[in-house]
Amino acid sequence: MSIFEGVNWLQLLVTAIAMGCIYSLIATEYTLIYNATGLVNFAHESFIVLGAYIFAGTFERALQFPHWLAIALTLVSMAAFGVLVASTILNPLRNLQFVTYAMFGTMMLSRIIIEICRLSWGSLPFTVKGFLRESINIGSTVLSESYIYIIVISIIVISLLQAFFKLTKAGKAMICVSQNKDAAALMGINVSASINLTVAISSIICGIIGILCAPLYNVSSNMVTSAATKGFCAGVIGGFGSYPGAIIGGILIGLIEQFGIIFIPSVWKDALSFGLMIIFLLIRPGGIIKRKKA
Amino acid sequence: MDNKILSLNGIDVYYGEVQALFDISLDVYEGEIVSIIGSNGAGKTTTMRSIMGLRHPKKGTIVFNGEEIQKLPTHKVVDRGIVYVPEGRLVFPDLSVEVNLEMGAYSKSYSKAEMQQMMEEQYDLFPRLKERKNQLAGSLSGGEQQMLAIARGLMSDPKLIMFDEPSLGLAPVIVDDVFKVIVRINKEKNIPILLVEQNAYMALSISNRTYVLENGVITTSGKSSDLIESDEIRKAYLGG
Repeated sequence: MSIFEGVNWLQLLVTAIAMGCIYSLIATEYTLIYNATGLVNFAHESFIVLGAYIFAGTFERALQFPHWLAIALTLVSMAAFGVLVASTILNPLRNLQFVTYAMFGTMMLSRIIIEICRLSWGSLPFTVKGFLRESINIGSTVLSESYIYIIVISIIVISLLQAFFKLTKAGKAMICVSQNKDAAALMGINVSASINLTVAISSIICGIIGILCAPLYNVSSNMVTSAATKGFCAGVIGGFGSYPGAIIGGILIGLIEQFGIIFIPSVWKDALSFGLMIIFLLIRPGGIIKRKKA
Repeated sequence: MDNKILSLNGIDVYYGEVQALFDISLDVYEGEIVSIIGSNGAGKTTTMRSIMGLRHPKKGTIVFNGEEIQKLPTHKVVDRGIVYVPEGRLVFPDLSVEVNLEMGAYSKSYSKAEMQQMMEEQYDLFPRLKERKNQLAGSLSGGEQQMLAIARGLMSDPKLIMFDEPSLGLAPVIVDDVFKVIVRINKEKNIPILLVEQNAYMALSISNRTYVLENGVITTSGKSSDLIESDEIRKAYLGG
């Protein structure tokens, strides 16, 4: 009897790509901030959690708004939150003498946000009723509706982001800021404002991730801990600081962890991505897409 | 002399506790090329960075076209019409030549046609860049990158342009080209120029007036044609 017997390939593939998309979005979201400020935002997991709570806790559960309105208001709130964090915390932090201080700063920020979530929405996990909980049956395959949404929305988000970088003045300015801040300022770019915008976009993506993850996990303060760490691995594997790298790394981790469980017990699933990251750090520390040094 | 474009009035600049510039005063008038010469670490680049608002003076004023600008952030200084072509060129390596030029016009809101026209003007000045317009700036040679940095600076149609060590790290033939272009920009486009150079001979020969900066203090200033004859300058900066 082969180990491949009874494997539902379609289901595995869709799950792998959907989870891969989540990891890609996570990698993209912190790559934005890393490129703009040179800081690794260790608070990014808490941004996602905050997005999920604002959506599920406030706009869905407490105010019972229709889904589209809840989503729109969540994204607007996250953008405002991003500008607030950028102008009060990240912009001052990036001017500190040592990156280590800034790193600790973002870690503390993470604790503060998580505690605020716990205090505002309570510590009991909860679910969002009637939001992407359906499933689609194709023969013997049961595909969760939320996976399809994750894939479609991720493609839209990533395409919009690329179009923004290629076609708009503000997007091009962001690329300049990530390549050389002094030179960007000398072009007349307001570097701090550009960083505020970057963090706002990153926070919106965090909000989207939070909303997409709400039907997958119960909403709680550690709902995306494992996904956030794997998203981080995705960035390292794909090539730190590279957007295509973030996507490739994310999808690769999604595929490896889903198809890996054919060969190894599923409790080891999480270890696969971390193992892969360590292998990459040892043999190709630049990641799949090595970034040229500016 | 006619209109004063830029004047530094007794500025003191510090890096942390360390004072880099002491009571620097200098002027640039309409249509002039003014150069600042001095050895490494004399404070030439610091002077430029202070004008650009990348470093703010603790004391003194910087007046540009009648407005005090010493407290403005860099992007506002650029809006006022000062362009700085920095040492080491600082082109955006991962963007194409064309997009680099486009970014040079960031402070302006050109229409598509105006943008195209400005680009054509730069390509006329630097035909090499036209050939390479779709190449990444990082793949250009040092001389070409310097040309790109200058062209990028001109894209915003500046009222004053400042060059920081434009000859640094370039082959002698190319150095000649760069200085010819600088003179052309001054003559044809009638843009006043402030030039910082270690290559004192070049700086003295193309400029109208020169300031000599030593350890953060201006020690000598005057007509370049006089200074080039002076024994002191010859001994200290021209190797004999």
